[in-house]
Amino acid sequence: MASLSEEVLLVVKRVRQRKQDGTLYLMAERIAWGPEGKDRFTVSHLYADIRCQKISPDGKAKIQLQLILHTGESTTFHFSNGSTALKDRDATKELLQQLLPKFKKKANKELEEKNRMLQEDPVLFQLYKDLVVSQVISAEEFWANRLSLNTVEHSLSNNSKQEVGISAAFLADIRPQTDGCNGLRYNLTSDIIESIFRTYPTVKQKYAENVPHNLTEKEFWTRFFQSHYFHRDRISTGQQDIFSECAKQDEKGLNSMVTRGVKNPMVDLLLLEDKTLDEVRDCHGAGGRPTEAPSDQASETSSTDGNSRDSDFFQPPLKKVKLQESIEYDDLQGDSGRKTIALNLKKSDRYSHGPIPLQSQHYTTSQDIINSISIIQHEMRNYKPRLTQVMSSNAASSAITALSPGGLLMQGGAQQTINQLVPTDVQIELKHLYTAAGELLRHFWSCFPVNTPFLEDKLTGHLEEMLQAAYSKFQVWQTRRMMRKT
Amino acid sequence: FRLNIEGLLVYFPYDYIYPEQYSYMLELKRTLDAKGHGVLEMPSGTGKTISLLSLIVAYQKAYPLEVTKLVYCSRTVPEIEKVVEELRKLMDYYAKQTGVKNDFLALALSSRKNLCIHPEVSSLRFGKEVDGKCHSLTASYIRAQHHSNPSQPVCQFFEEFDAVGRQVPIPPGIYNLDDLKDFGRRKGWCPYFLARYAILHANIVVYSYHYLLDPKIADLVSKELAKKSVVVFDEAHNIDNVCIDSMSVNITRRTLDRCQTNVETLQNTISRIKETDAAKLREEYRRLVEGLKEANVARETDIYLSNPVLPDEILQEAVPGSIRTAEHFVGFIKRFLEYLKARLRIHHVVQESAPQFLKDIYEKVCIDRKPLRFCAKRLRSLLRTLEIADIADFSAITLISHFATLVSTYSKGNLYDYDFHQKTPTIANPVLHFSCMDPSIAIKPVFGRFQSVIITSGTLSPLDIYPRILDFRPVTMASFTMTLARTCLCPLIVGRGNDQVAMTSKFETREDFAVIRNYGNLLLEMSAIVPDGIVAFFTSYIYMENIVASWYEQGILENIQRNKLIFIETQDAAETSMALEKYQEACENGRGAILLSVARGKVSEGIDFVHHFGRAVIMFGVPYVYTQSRILKARLEYLRDQFQIRENDFLTFDAMRHAAQCVGRAIRGKTDYGLMIFADKRYARADKRGKLPRWIQEHLTDGSLNLTIDETVQLSKHFLRQMAQPFRREDQLGLSLLTLEQLQSEDMLQKIAQIAQQA
Repeated sequence: MASLSEEVLLVVKRVRQRKQDGTLYLMAERIAWGPEGKDRFTVSHLYADIRCQKISPDGKAKIQLQLILHTGESTTFHFSNGSTALKDRDATKELLQQLLPKFKKKANKELEEKNRMLQEDPVLFQLYKDLVVSQVISAEEFWANRLSLNTVEHSLSNNSKQEVGISAAFLADIRPQTDGCNGLRYNLTSDIIESIFRTYPTVKQKYAENVPHNLTEKEFWTRFFQSHYFHRDRISTGQQDIFSECAKQDEKGLNSMVTRGVKNPMVDLLLLEDKTLDEVRDCHGAGGRPTEAPSDQASETSSTDGNSRDSDFFQPPLKKVKLQESIEYDDLQGDSGRKTIALNLKKSDRYSHGPIPLQSQHYTTSQDIINSISIIQHEMRNYKPRLTQVMSSNAASSAITALSPGGLLMQGGAQQTINQLVPTDVQIELKHLYTAAGELLRHFWSCFPVNTPFLEDKLTGHLEEMLQAAYSKFQVWQTRRMMRKT
Repeated sequence: FRLNIEGLLVYFPYDYIYPEQYSYMLELKRTLDAKGHGVLEMPSGTGKTISLLSLIVAYQKAYPLEVTKLVYCSRTVPEIEKVVEELRKLMDYYAKQTGVKNDFLALALSSRKNLCIHPEVSSLRFGKEVDGKCHSLTASYIRAQHHSNPSQPVCQFFEEFDAVGRQVPIPPGIYNLDDLKDFGRRKGWCPYFLARYAILHANIVVYSYHYLLDPKIADLVSKELAKKSVVVFDEAHNIDNVCIDSMSVNITRRTLDRCQTNVETLQNTISRIKETDAAKLREEYRRLVEGLKEANVARETDIYLSNPVLPDEILQEAVPGSIRTAEHFVGFIKRFLEYLKARLRIHHVVQESAPQFLKDIYEKVCIDRKPLRFCAKRLRSLLRTLEIADIADFSAITLISHFATLVSTYSKGNLYDYDFHQKTPTIANPVLHFSCMDPSIAIKPVFGRFQSVIITSGTLSPLDIYPRILDFRPVTMASFTMTLARTCLCPLIVGRGNDQVAMTSKFETREDFAVIRNYGNLLLEMSAIVPDGIVAFFTSYIYMENIVASWYEQGILENIQRNKLIFIETQDAAETSMALEKYQEACENGRGAILLSVARGKVSEGIDFVHHFGRAVIMFGVPYVYTQSRILKARLEYLRDQFQIRENDFLTFDAMRHAAQCVGRAIRGKTDYGLMIFADKRYARADKRGKLPRWIQEHLTDGSLNLTIDETVQLSKHFLRQMAQPFRREDQLGLSLLTLEQLQSEDMLQKIAQIAQQA
């Protein structure tokens, strides 16, 4: 079970678990324990599963460490290596302390994601209630299918939550107030600090480096506002100013951006001029930075992002689009050229067959309807009134009454549709059952082709059980409905 | 659809047409009929290019013997590519309508940098490097060496082209730069040389001004273009400056130092060759005596476009004996160089005309005028004989030789002076400017050779000045207005701040605290009400820097930043490109951005701000050229003496064309809209206002001449609210947009006749 590729971070010998001596291993992704003399782990937890760790108080005789999992289970390790037991335990604790938060984030993210999905999708929530809460299928099974299914939508829906931008005026808004005795007072809120950090990532880095070891928070911000970096006069004041480096880094970032060049060839001023050909003039200006871009570096950037000068393979599409855009006169063009946006449907059948009220007549497909409409249209187009053979006005008006709603021929239309007949709560319940059953069926069908023992197991034992459960649920509902009806 | 323009069938690739396009085509047709030159001003965004192309192509198809070629000159690479794309659209339309496969060959030509497909060479960053490297792989003697020594690298693409490319004509079609590259890759031919060869028999050539105006380039590329060509200079409002630039030379100490090394290299090569291959030098000598005669014959038989650097009289004579042998010539150059060095050692500013210079040089070092004139020709011949591979290395000496030829050829209209540039207080850095005063010198061969030359742009007002400074007689001069269903441009002249202090960039008051503050307030107020992008132009980089610095101190900048992000143009093109891209990004997101830019800068000349990229343009001050410059003063003097153009008239004309160019950047079509704010009270004066293009002037009402900031804001708000209403085709139809039927109605034709205003 212990794969060789796993990196072992810490090995602690003589750790007891359930009164058995053994060795504790801390690996990159999990913590594991194996009894003495055996070559496998009897205990193994992924860090992501661990909710927290607890340690025994210092004074206690037994030096222990307890791991509590998200599921509520717990595992206790007893460090029994005499003199070094305490040190062993602390080392383990330290390491876990570093490791757990990393994985916690991941776990939390997943939880959050699940939570979000449930909140955003009432149908899913209902399904979850019907299937998981009533223990028809387990939560893992429910999500196992869901999450992978949702990765596509996930990436889409993730964008919907936009990050709130930074107010352009945040620096202007930090108005210093004079404190009355020749000083200035800046009021900083956490929002402003956040804005500063996001605007100047280098300042954030400096903050992380210096606060609180070298400077207090207050000192840091005082220096920040005093610094030339903030005041934009980029005169470096020597090394003692911690922000002079920030300015340099910014400058470097800008320079590298400039050397990388622009993507849109229509705004590239370097490409505007077209005069060379045995050109003899000294060219300053445009060629002002030849030293900064050695040609090998240039070719490197072009191969990675493809937006520098010689990237013929990448440029034309964008260039073509921009060129076309720039020569277009949309008002001179006829309407035919109007661009349409392709409708992007995940389930096109659901789009074309909207919810149609159940009819007592035979089922008409949408194709039939379209056909008949076109036939009617066709007939109407070719309609020629034959005035010699018209009906008498009496007959016509009686035909019209017969065809009006409530008239002789329109009785059928007044029939109540089933959604008016059945009370809403029953309808809702039916809908839930329907979706739940659908979900189960989905699970069922997803087992085919049965090519792993796991799937077979799921199919034969497990799913049947589930369907049974669902069926009985339906039975319950049926009887209840019957009862209500009578 | 198909149009009938005075009996000419014109295919127009759109379903609708602007009335002014029809009018424009009419005038153009008349110009071509008369086989004369024309000056046509039509606002940008009214489909000038497609009108030009439609008519000239139709003309070419109808009278293939009258007009054999269209040479379309534009200014920037993106513009060249745009023209070719429009042409493609037109040709596709032709093919669709007539069902005949297109038999036209149209292509774009650009420098090696944009056309090279050699994997190593094309990866170089600067045009000069590409040219140099290319030359070192394709020069004839390099290739000759390759024959005897296969390890000598040559360019495979060029070899392939040279072997077969010339026999097989490039199939008809529309070739943009990328298409040429694709074609070259497929065939394994060098696209650059292919294009240069193909322009000789192409029906339509699209390239940059310099290929026709710069004598050094034109001599190589455009010499053999047919006489029956129509030449179009698009965006030609700056054509006089291009002409002047192409004939001017600046020499610094560094140039002279590099020239010195060039001379030494030459000397060494000559002595080496003399030992090994004296026959080669003798052969050259013979060629010099005879070769020039041939060129003369060619010119007389009208095969070549003449080169202003080599005027007729040079060609009639052989290279004078004193510089005919290689050693003598090098000695001559050395003497000339020493003289220049001595002149550059001075510590004050000197300004003299070409005859003075020639006199001085004769007295001091006994250099005659005649050999000087042959310098350029002689050097080129020598370099060829000596098999110098890397011409880029010899740029300094080439420059000097051009200078020698120019200074001795054009005594009139030229001047040179030493400028005393003080970069650091202790080190003098003198520059020798040889400036051409007369733009007509460079363009004269073009007017002389081609039957029709069309000068067109969105801003050519006042029209009559161009024929005067370029010295030609046009048969048509017309300015077209923009017919508008809604007034989508709103020019406003802001003359005062809310405190009634006059707003002006006049030299005496431009540093005034109140002026700067008012400018700041104007931008601040506008940033609060204008959606998306605002472009602000200053009169110079220095002025912009000063203003922005004091806005910062006054806290105005902070408040502007509340509303929009700020981007600034710098003199570094790469930096500015990045700023521009980010500016556009910011315009597409959120509340938009402000671009602080400079009139006469690269942005004002080459970048369009369509739709939301420019909802308002603010012109801070009148962009007068720096009047204290000696060169400018000399030019003004020259204009006064030669063309009777008063200094002030020219300065105002120049300032106003740049201002118009700046504000015109925001309007790129009838569906576009934008505010044009002239922030200087001097704009209200009739002499300034009158020099704006007619299509802007028309919308300047008396009520918008001397506004305060508050009034401007009110008017702008009103305008923007109106413009925000939906604008449909139906609103335009019949007024500023016509269907074929509407176009044919008698009524409309009368209206159209009024659009063009003959100057």
